[in-house]
Amino acid sequence: MQFAPLPYLDPGSGSIIIQILLAVLLGLGVALRASWSRIKSLFGAKPKSDEDDDSSDA
Amino acid sequence: MPKTGQLSASFRDPSGFLFTDNGILYRQINRVYSKDYARLMDSGLYERLVKAGLLIPHIEADQISVKSDAGLKVIQPERVSFISYPYEWSFSQLKDAALATLSIQKRALKMDMSLKDASAYNIQFVRGKAALIDTLSFEIYKEGQPWTAYKQFCQHFLAPLALMSYRDVRLSQLLRVYIDGVPLDLASGLLPAKTKFNFSLLTHVHIHARAQKRYSDKVIAPRTGTLRVSRQAMIGLIESLETAVRNLTWKPAGTEWGDYYENTNYSDSAFEHKKILVREWSVEKKPALVWDFGGNTGIFSREAASSGAFTVSFDIDPAAVEQNYRIVKSNKEQNVLPLVLDLTNPSPSIGWNNTERDSFGARGPVDMALALAVIHHLAISNNVPLPQLADFFSAHCKWLVIEFVPKSDSQVQRLLTSREDIFPNYTREGFEAAFSSRFTINKAESVRDSERTLYLMEARS
Repeated sequence: MQFAPLPYLDPGSGSIIIQILLAVLLGLGVALRASWSRIKSLFGAKPKSDEDDDSSDA
Repeated sequence: MPKTGQLSASFRDPSGFLFTDNGILYRQINRVYSKDYARLMDSGLYERLVKAGLLIPHIEADQISVKSDAGLKVIQPERVSFISYPYEWSFSQLKDAALATLSIQKRALKMDMSLKDASAYNIQFVRGKAALIDTLSFEIYKEGQPWTAYKQFCQHFLAPLALMSYRDVRLSQLLRVYIDGVPLDLASGLLPAKTKFNFSLLTHVHIHARAQKRYSDKVIAPRTGTLRVSRQAMIGLIESLETAVRNLTWKPAGTEWGDYYENTNYSDSAFEHKKILVREWSVEKKPALVWDFGGNTGIFSREAASSGAFTVSFDIDPAAVEQNYRIVKSNKEQNVLPLVLDLTNPSPSIGWNNTERDSFGARGPVDMALALAVIHHLAISNNVPLPQLADFFSAHCKWLVIEFVPKSDSQVQRLLTSREDIFPNYTREGFEAAFSSRFTINKAESVRDSERTLYLMEARS
């Protein structure tokens, strides 16, 4: 079942498949990093500020 | 441009299009985009991106009526001083454009929006920084949907940057041939084998290219329940691309002009005298837009820019342009834009119907052009007769600041040592005669401590 409108660009079948596989792997990394910073914060470490919140560097 | 005034660069996205009315640039937003536009404006995303200099601001132009039944409203985006294209950017310019795109995508995700395209042509240099100019690039994000612009991002940014970094910086010119970015199988084949040991390039370029080939005849509906990318996975993907781009580097060295100024026959006083004349003449003529041909690292461009003019500093050497751009960044300059351009083969108009991306000439003419220490390269190295040079410059500017470098100059002697001198008219008199047919010579100043002459000329209308 389609859950969002179809895009106006063809995202490419191979590109979608590799993206989904990679994203699972890379998402795990994000999750691990998040839990690690939670563990560290239990011991008093300050969480790193998000660079994309106010910095205008790109 | 079609009769409707619709710009020929904006036709693919059904969300809207650009048009001009009385010389003012507008963007029509179509009804089909109304929810996405409302989310962009109401969520605070627009404001945050504009504040960060990552999106050009616009105002709603309620006085202008929509151009078709599909239209919802018309907006007036800020006009960009000079539109440039990725094949005219130096390495760091393309890299910054890539990082700006990813930064926008990360900010958008926080507001439940996502970029629906990641075209390098949607990025322009505004006040010295890479910014998105397509207000309609956002769509409402529903958790689970993959990033449809992933392929485009890899083709427009990651693949050319990797080729420039690992193979040769001149491979940016592939973007001039492939308007939708470098095909990944081509990039994969051209990259050195060692890039397969780099996780980011292995996955986003090499394996990605293999997957495209393998599934080329399979049709996959991208937004069905089974093919989901969680929000966390999406962030992981964007951050991985960010790391990939950040890790690509290129150091300008060993190229044509990299250390040109250390290698010239100029005395310091000749150099200073030229700077003073360029500054004085720019202040006097108050140009809004200046093109500096052969701008090198932008020393004279900055003299023109100090008069308030927006100055585009063109050079054929990617190393000089790279250095120039680094100066722009470190000084936070807002009105100097360094670009790579080969004057003997300038950017043509390309794309659909050859009208999608403008040629270099179609983006002019400008109020003032500088041609300092370039005439001998064009007339002697490239064999262009002086009358044709006068035609060329008069087509692109009103005021011309041009330096004549005589044959007796050691730089010209160097060009003539290995070839026959077939240029009997290349004299100061011959130069003035050729240029007088197209220009009125306003000023002619001998450059101190040199045999060169600096002219200020006005094109005959």
